[in-house]
Amino acid sequence: MTPPEDAAAVRPRAKAHQNLGRRAFLVISSPRLAIALLITVLACCVVGVTVFTPEPAWRLIFNTIWFNGLLSLLAMSSGLTFFARIWGRKLTIISVGMIVFHVSFMAMLGGVVFNSLLHFKGVLRLTEGESLPNGVPESYDTIEMGRFFDFARLRGETTLLAMHRDYKVDGQDKRAAYEISVGDGAAKATGTIYMTQNLDHRGVRYLVAKEGYSLGIALQDQQGRDLYAAMVPLQSLPRGKDAYLYTTGSSTEPGSFMFPPPPAPTALLLQVGYVPDQKEDRAGQVEFFTWKPDGTGAAAPATGPAASATGPGQHPVTGENRPAASGKVPVGGVFDAGEYKLEAREVRYWVGMTVRRDPGLLVILTSLWAGLAGMTMTFAGRIWQDSKREKRAAGGERKDITSPKGIP
Amino acid sequence: MNVEQVLFWCAVGLYGVSAFAYVFGFIAEKEKLVGAGLATAVLGFAAHTASIALRWISSAVTPFITTSESLALGTFMAMALYLALQASTRKVRPLGVFVLPVVFVLLGWAGTLRAASGSQLAPALQSGWLWAHIVGASIGFASVMIAAALSGLFLLKENRSGGIYDRLPAPSDLDRLAYRFVAAGFIMYGLMIVTGALWADQAKGSYWNWDPVEVWSLVSWLVYGIYLHLRITMGWRGRRLAWYALAAVVVMIVSYWGIPFSVETFHKGFRVEHQ
Repeated sequence: MTPPEDAAAVRPRAKAHQNLGRRAFLVISSPRLAIALLITVLACCVVGVTVFTPEPAWRLIFNTIWFNGLLSLLAMSSGLTFFARIWGRKLTIISVGMIVFHVSFMAMLGGVVFNSLLHFKGVLRLTEGESLPNGVPESYDTIEMGRFFDFARLRGETTLLAMHRDYKVDGQDKRAAYEISVGDGAAKATGTIYMTQNLDHRGVRYLVAKEGYSLGIALQDQQGRDLYAAMVPLQSLPRGKDAYLYTTGSSTEPGSFMFPPPPAPTALLLQVGYVPDQKEDRAGQVEFFTWKPDGTGAAAPATGPAASATGPGQHPVTGENRPAASGKVPVGGVFDAGEYKLEAREVRYWVGMTVRRDPGLLVILTSLWAGLAGMTMTFAGRIWQDSKREKRAAGGERKDITSPKGIP
Repeated sequence: MNVEQVLFWCAVGLYGVSAFAYVFGFIAEKEKLVGAGLATAVLGFAAHTASIALRWISSAVTPFITTSESLALGTFMAMALYLALQASTRKVRPLGVFVLPVVFVLLGWAGTLRAASGSQLAPALQSGWLWAHIVGASIGFASVMIAAALSGLFLLKENRSGGIYDRLPAPSDLDRLAYRFVAAGFIMYGLMIVTGALWADQAKGSYWNWDPVEVWSLVSWLVYGIYLHLRITMGWRGRRLAWYALAAVVVMIVSYWGIPFSVETFHKGFRVEHQ
């Protein structure tokens, strides 16, 4: 049992805590703080989109703990401010509308913060017929995820069955559609996705993003026996209005790569370009440029760059841009690279698919609608209230038509 | 120049004449000149409506896609709301002194940006949400534009009397009407943001992309949210709020058309590229 003298010593401290709690509540439920926080968030947004380009803004502001903390504080402050003022008041269409609006605003901000901590966004690049496991970071070209996201949430694998060009739905041209299969075992789902139509499988969404060509290239010896074969995805480099250069290399310029890729011994450095046929899909010309792996000794005399559609890049080590061999063959043809032969076996499409998991999405989108409903209710209520007042005033009982300070 | 273009430039010209008549009619306190301003505005609106209708009929694409078309629709809605208000009451006839110059400048600017309409709608725009988004945006703009004009009339009427001022509604009525239009605009803005988020989620898988126009639209929506809070929670009325409404409509115009015009954005005339 606590002796009386000790209890007396504890009581003022408890009171001090109560006062501190009350003071904190008063500060956080102050309309001035809510408006100051709102203005700060607005200022951050304006700086984010006007001073920075999208990527740094996302990294320096929108995806930071302090900005998410600011949003949480705004949700808490605006909620407490509102409820401290409306508590115990009569429920009317106006007050109910305002409650719905403010609750939805808080729920939306809460959903945004929750989602930012647990979301996942990745770009999965697949060539037709190819499958990749979903739960492995190496499957994705780019990844963006929340701090607490767990890869175990992404189960099974994704297969690109086919890419359809000029896909039409009810006469509307959707340009590109991907036929995909996702999941594992009996839980596999198959569907066709296109812009405005995605596939949702167990909370993970698959969306169209970008597509390009992949060339099936086989390395052969001089007798025509296959030594190695692979699908080689090509970059689409913009070249003027509606014109693209399809080639190996980086996202900005053509370039070569080791063929076959390590750990297999490299036979040659290869740059491939593709000029699609204007009439027939998956047909056209394939252009080859090869260098010896060490960049020394031409395997065959080079053709002039002027005759080339894609243009040779540079040898990655020597900087030499004069290839050992170069030439053009139709799809299905064989190019003689000197020591080896290269067969342009087939053209397929690759797609870069966006894979997303947004666990807060439902809360956010529902809150948006609820907020809109709340606003409409409040507005309708105020119009109705005003017209009642005006009628009363017209009937000789005119009162002050301005609303009292605070929530009516 | 085809018929649609002739009608478009007729609308710009008539709105210009109307703006002139309103401004000078108000300064000189000549009610007949103000009446002529309204008559020319009606003629301009008829030409404006016909030019949009002809563009729609002659093209396979809804004519609200490019920046120029978006300006033409926004000003069309502002004029429709303005004329509806004129039809419902004669008391706010001089409202055109604020509305017409803005409409004239915005539509004239749209004229300098005009391009041939597209032959087909980009796949990302083939969504029902686009309609709700555009309707919300244009009616929202029209509402806050009228609210700003009413606030402008409030500031003119506040300390003046006699002549044309005596026929204006009482300042408290102008103040209350401006508030109602702001509240309506706030809801329509909300509709624009909500449907825009749903549309972006459908097309890009992300309800919010931190696109400059998205952020500026949120900023201008919250600017009107602050207006409502200043009025309801803090008890602001009259002069301060009227100046606020005039400043807010500038933020709004900048966020709608200034930002897409000056920075690279997803909303740049809704040209959504997809390779």
